Amino acid sequence: MSKHLYRLAPLALLLFGLFAMVQARDLSLGELGAPGPGLWPFICASLLSVTAFVLLFVDDPADYEPWTRDTARIALGLLSLAVFIVLFQEIGFLIPAVLMLLIWLRLFAQEPWRWAIPLAVLGAVAFQLVFVEGLGVPFPDDIVLGG
Amino acid sequence: MGIADGLGEGFSVALDPTNLLYVFIGVLIGTVIGVLPGLGPTATIALLLPLTYELEPVTSVILLAGIYYGSMYGGTITSVLLQLPGEAASVVTTFDGYQMAKQGRAGPALGIAAVGSFIGGTIAVVGLILLAPPLADLAVEFGAQEYVALTAFGILLVTYLGTKHPVKALCMAALGLLLATIGQDAITGTGRFTYDQVELFDGLDFVAVAMGLFGVGEILYNLEKSEKAEQIKSRIKNIWPTRKDFKDSSGAIARGSVLGFFLGVLPGGGGVISSLASYGMEKRRAKDPSRFGKGAIEGVAGPETANNASSTSAFVPLLTLGIPPNVVLALIYGALLINGVQVGPQLIDTNPEIFWGVIASMFIGNLMLLALNIPLVGVFVQLLRVRAGILAAFALLITMVGVFSVNNDVFDMWVVLAFGVIGWLMKKTGFEPGPLVLAFVLGAILETNFRRAMLTSDGQFDTFFTRPLSGTIFGLMALVIVYSTVMGIRRQRSGRPPALYADQLDAAAPHETVPGSEAEGTAGVAAADGGSADDSPSPGGGSTRAQP
Repeated sequence: MSKHLYRLAPLALLLFGLFAMVQARDLSLGELGAPGPGLWPFICASLLSVTAFVLLFVDDPADYEPWTRDTARIALGLLSLAVFIVLFQEIGFLIPAVLMLLIWLRLFAQEPWRWAIPLAVLGAVAFQLVFVEGLGVPFPDDIVLGG
Repeated sequence: MGIADGLGEGFSVALDPTNLLYVFIGVLIGTVIGVLPGLGPTATIALLLPLTYELEPVTSVILLAGIYYGSMYGGTITSVLLQLPGEAASVVTTFDGYQMAKQGRAGPALGIAAVGSFIGGTIAVVGLILLAPPLADLAVEFGAQEYVALTAFGILLVTYLGTKHPVKALCMAALGLLLATIGQDAITGTGRFTYDQVELFDGLDFVAVAMGLFGVGEILYNLEKSEKAEQIKSRIKNIWPTRKDFKDSSGAIARGSVLGFFLGVLPGGGGVISSLASYGMEKRRAKDPSRFGKGAIEGVAGPETANNASSTSAFVPLLTLGIPPNVVLALIYGALLINGVQVGPQLIDTNPEIFWGVIASMFIGNLMLLALNIPLVGVFVQLLRVRAGILAAFALLITMVGVFSVNNDVFDMWVVLAFGVIGWLMKKTGFEPGPLVLAFVLGAILETNFRRAMLTSDGQFDTFFTRPLSGTIFGLMALVIVYSTVMGIRRQRSGRPPALYADQLDAAAPHETVPGSEAEGTAGVAAADGGSADDSPSPGGGSTRAQP
């Protein structure tokens, strides 16, 4: 079973392609002389499905890298980014940015605290200055700066 | 406008203080990221795309072009000193460059690479000037059918020439085309795949997709790799090559310039293929091929010249036909679209300041690179002390804030994150993001012209084959498919690795893996496949992997 695991990727692509084909058909295909909005997506989705179907059989298992323990770290990294986006929207830039930099510098870059903390704080402040003061990007209201 | 007038206007644009500053910033950033392993030109340009909203169109292209050819110089430094190519096109340079460094000749290796790159880049600019206007004149005659043919040809060549596995690349291209259809239909106004989400009505943002796939995806992928600090062992002295070095490598530089120029113009060409091809050519021509891989200076000079020439000539199809031949150019194309510039055959006439300004900036940029590289190599090498983890943390924050600044919309941050996950999964499963992004960029042109052709021809499919030009291009496409299929089957039968230039790579490859190098998207010709994939450096984007 596990030696066929690598076929999951083309299988997912195939299912996605078939799903898109059905959706495109619902958009109305029109006809060749007067193409409807669904015709082009239908053609693309068909190409996707056909190639994914072929890959189910011809793909080279060596292309697929094994999942390692480190994969869990990736999940953690992604989670930290998702939390950053949510917090950014709710409480502004500074605190989420410091937290995100701290996590990445300490956990993933494995910098000692004495480097991670100043880098995170200075980095966040520098970004705030460049983007808000320098480029005039309207960040969401910041609880630190009192919005 | 004649060439002289054009160049005159170009230099007046490029010598404008702002533009001069951005050429300098571009080549400097390019060199820096070329030196830093793990962050290649594609990722960097993707990360900097939001910045182009703030700039004039010509300035943003000058900046991004500078990053592109600057990274070709920078990648050389780590290849020679550490056998670590900062970007994929420099993989070949490790073969002889690192050997030269071990023999105490790191200086001349870097020097000849800088000089060769300068010559190659300059010759390619001249070629660009001569070739682009007539090509654009021809392209003005194009109808919808020709655009369908050319766009499809571009996507096909990128999937066939530039990647390890054509079917996988084609599959990704189809996915890119499909993703490009999200949003309102340009002709009927019907919402497609929007599921009543207001944010999706305008379609997925190109910047967010590119930043996610190349920026975040790359960073996540590198997170799984263990890092080790690098020590520079060889001291650099006498950077200026001797007269004998120049004599030995002059032929290689001349051939590399021409070869690189022509391979760069081809869709799917670009740095990696041209440097490999140049290395192969020099080795074949050499009186004593056994010197190669042991520190032959031609083996550094030729490929380095070729990859610079090709990164310049790659602008020919973009600026004349509006078709980006590789992923880096697709990103630059996206930057122009963002600025509302119509890229196509009319560009030379409607926006001469962009065409000639970018060309003139390349002359200046190449000169700057020569001036930067010869005296400052030692400074750039110090950059290797910056740890990749710190770089990753800040690059991620730049990505998130940068993409927010494009539309001031948090939704784009989620798109980046989603495509970051997709990009990382693609790397893990050997799918390359390059064809996806290229197809995503070209999707709208392809669809619009396809539908226009169908409407005007009353649904007659043969309209694509009966017009002389589009018929010829479709004929060429059929040839490429048949040829590559036949060659693939023959290679499989004879048990040889199914990739271009695999022989040269196998012959000269130092048997170590190359972590942290990045292909310019699709331009990775797989070095070897299957069993040998673990012991030869492979320049392909998805195939550069460290051993666990």
